[in-house]
Amino acid sequence: MSGLVPGLLPGLLPVPVFLPLIAAALAALLPARARAWLGLATVACTAVVVTAITAGVAGLPGRGSGEDALSLALAGWEAPVGIVLRADALSAVLLLLTSVVGLVVSVHALAAGRDADALPSMSSLYGGPAFWPLWLALFAALNGVYVTGDLFNAYVMLELLTLAAVSLVALGGRAGNGAAAAALRYLFVAVVGSLLFLMAVALVYAEAGTLDLPLAAERIGPGPLLHVALALALVGLAAKFALFPLHSWLPVAHPAAPAAVSALLSGLVIKAALFLLWRLWGILGPVAEPVVLQGLGLAAGAAGSIAVLWGSFMALRRRRLKPIIAYSTVAQVGYLVLLLPLTAGPVGADAFGAGEGSGPGWTGGVVLVLAHGLAKAGMFLAAGNLALAYRGDRLRGLGGAVTHMPLTVATIGLAGVSLAGLPPSLGFAAKWQLLTSALAGGQWWWVPVLLLGGLLTVAYTALMVRATFNQPGGPDAEPPARRLPRTLVLGPFVLAAGSVLLGVAPAGLLEFLGSGTGDVTAGAGDAPGAAGDVPPSGAAGGDGS
Amino acid sequence: MTVSGLPELMTVLACAVLVIGLSAHLLVADLFRRIISLNVASGGVMMLLLVLAVRGPGDQDPDPVPQALVLTGIVIMAAVTGLALALARRVEDPADEDDRDEETP
Amino acid sequence: MMPLLDLILAGTVLVTAVLAVLAPRRDAAASAFLIFGVLLALLWARLEAPDIALAEAALGGGVAGALLVDALHSRRPPQPQAASSWAARITGAAAGAALLAALLIGVRAVPQARAPLAEEAYARIPVSGVEHPVTAVLLNYRSYDTLLEIAVLAVAALGAAALAQGHRPVVRSRPAVRGLALVLLPVLLLLAAWLLVAGTSQPGGAFQAGALLGAALVIAHLAGIGLARPQGLAGLAWTLAGLLSFLALAAGTAVFGAGWLVLDPAWAPGAILAIEAILAVSIGAGLALIFLSNSASLQQNGPAGEPGRAAEAEPPAGAPS
Repeated sequence: MSGLVPGLLPGLLPVPVFLPLIAAALAALLPARARAWLGLATVACTAVVVTAITAGVAGLPGRGSGEDALSLALAGWEAPVGIVLRADALSAVLLLLTSVVGLVVSVHALAAGRDADALPSMSSLYGGPAFWPLWLALFAALNGVYVTGDLFNAYVMLELLTLAAVSLVALGGRAGNGAAAAALRYLFVAVVGSLLFLMAVALVYAEAGTLDLPLAAERIGPGPLLHVALALALVGLAAKFALFPLHSWLPVAHPAAPAAVSALLSGLVIKAALFLLWRLWGILGPVAEPVVLQGLGLAAGAAGSIAVLWGSFMALRRRRLKPIIAYSTVAQVGYLVLLLPLTAGPVGADAFGAGEGSGPGWTGGVVLVLAHGLAKAGMFLAAGNLALAYRGDRLRGLGGAVTHMPLTVATIGLAGVSLAGLPPSLGFAAKWQLLTSALAGGQWWWVPVLLLGGLLTVAYTALMVRATFNQPGGPDAEPPARRLPRTLVLGPFVLAAGSVLLGVAPAGLLEFLGSGTGDVTAGAGDAPGAAGDVPPSGAAGGDGS
Repeated sequence: MTVSGLPELMTVLACAVLVIGLSAHLLVADLFRRIISLNVASGGVMMLLLVLAVRGPGDQDPDPVPQALVLTGIVIMAAVTGLALALARRVEDPADEDDRDEETP
Repeated sequence: MMPLLDLILAGTVLVTAVLAVLAPRRDAAASAFLIFGVLLALLWARLEAPDIALAEAALGGGVAGALLVDALHSRRPPQPQAASSWAARITGAAAGAALLAALLIGVRAVPQARAPLAEEAYARIPVSGVEHPVTAVLLNYRSYDTLLEIAVLAVAALGAAALAQGHRPVVRSRPAVRGLALVLLPVLLLLAAWLLVAGTSQPGGAFQAGALLGAALVIAHLAGIGLARPQGLAGLAWTLAGLLSFLALAAGTAVFGAGWLVLDPAWAPGAILAIEAILAVSIGAGLALIFLSNSASLQQNGPAGEPGRAAEAEPPAGAPS
């Protein structure tokens, strides 16, 4: 009996990981042209599969009945012996984001590569033929993080992600060795984070005797071991998504990489570590002592608030496009981490997620991830276009771009609108949820951070856009040194426009995420969607030890 | 494990080695030595996992799961170290200078 | 073993760790690290983990050896260390102390009983296709992780190859080393093969065999044996073969079998041994590729290739257009 037919949908869960990996291995052996087409085709097929998975998740009864996730026991072994994959609403949204942004970036790289014969510097937009196998591996790793239900598997996925991302960064800056230093710095920080995370995993295993996350939550109790593990995981993962004060590698690494890679890094890679942290928070959080969790959440929120202000402040002081956008990511990460205190519940509450702030907190965070991913990727691609056209991304050198490359400038503007949280963008919808959550949960002190951050975002977006205007009182600026093909310009515009337009009618998305309760402690449901079981051991979520 | 008290000693040692490695990695400037410190740190984590495998009465067989995890971890760390060395070498001895003068888009 | 010996072992591990991180010169640090690795291998053996001891000796020793060679060949004399500011040192020390304290608190609460998962793992060995429990975990229960670990190695190889930028070391012939290698290589290969096959029922397996194979490839390369050139399309293909085979197994079991990576007890032993064999070769090729991408011989040769190799069509995967 084929493993795909019964429970076809759960059987699709490994595809977004395996398909790109096969393609990555093949791409490394093929000539340059073939790689690009293979890469694009793979991303497109994966996008289709991901859509199917999302449809499947949407069709599940929902949290009420405990069946809120598609799950698959790999190799026929249920947890705790084997590895179980799980996909719930949160996974689905992130898988979709990854596929959409991935598709646009792939088209971008394909287009740039096609013109690279006539204009060799085009290949610096994405890094050349070496980009494709590494990007496909990165794609596989991202998808792998979003569907995993196993802690050690998460660690291995993170390492795959790191190595692919670091190698991609190293493709940038061929003059001398600039990108190698940035890439190495990124590698160091990421590995330190991974080691701390692995330590946390070891501690959880020590008490729970399993690596399956939902199962571990049942077998572990509130105590110093769990609390230390959560703290270690928080710090380790925070280093990987560049939360203040562990952020200084990001404004070095992201600008040094080729534009397409920067789009992937800021738009997608950061989200993976964040996702894992949210997962741990959502599943292990309810087990820990509320006061510890609130403390950790408060600490994270405080760091996030500083990140918002510091990142925005530093962005305003930069004089080149890419560093501005990179510091903007540092700032935005601060918002995303606010989800932790917002969902832990008001300070002094005696249970995790108590109060009305919790639900909107989750949905706000997830929608913000979506908005940020689209907007940031579009912004970096547009910046890359400008830099290629004007031989550099210095603000001073971009005069006149608004007349010669209006779509590209509009991309940056639109993306900024969404990042700032101005209506009617998706970023606004997200911020609205977060504000609601903060007020409803009695944690009003995050509100000024959210509002002030928005203002600062408007400021540095304006800084970038203004630099593209003609010099006042001077002659009309010369056209740029290079003309770019339409494809390169449309892709980023679509992303940025998406991050604004999706906000016009976010109701469907919010409902999909909320599934009625808004509490995305997903994966805790024990959907028995596993295909092809060999006699299982303790069922997932079933008996205890 | 016939000696009680040894696992406790090993867990403390594991934590110490991890902290020594991480601290040195963050404080030392030389890239090469930082790579070594990172490997030392990972040795500490492996140690903890292997201790977890031999908890309990001495006549039991060890838990194969943490041992498998450590094996995976050792291979991953070797791969990471290799890439780090390649990068460090590029940083310290850059390849021939490119004649392009623009920055990466 | 006497508890006193254990104490001494633990103590020397700690001391070598400190020495390895504090030694100011690169070659001293690399040497101390090499000893650290050997001591770790002993420690793993003491902790009833002979597979890991073998792997640590092969991989850790190999890595340390590579580091040592690199250190000795490094053209750049160690720069006088810029004294880090007092603020940085104090922050670092404080963070380290805090981390240590947190870890000790957490670790004190570790239960003393073995995880029940171990019994479940042992109980399923008869249907797993192998007799050795660690192999069962790696290649049956948690084969997904092993697949991904091979992918990690492959990606590191791709990244390192991209950095090498088409430079290929000229194969030089050094008679003395060559002679030594011709003696050593068959031994290493035989040992690797034995470890591979033994892994189904005893400590051993693909990783240890692969590490030995990688060491053999490096030695062969250094000795000037032209056959062992991990760079170029061939080396990359061997490295990727393991990943591709494992993925093919996954796809095959999904479409024709009972599910993704489900190994039917009837043919599991054969499948596992076959996969392990390919993995061993891939691991060896991958490790050699990674560590030879930055070997000292690269530096002296620039983009010149070996005569007769100029016809090879494809530069290593990393060369940008």
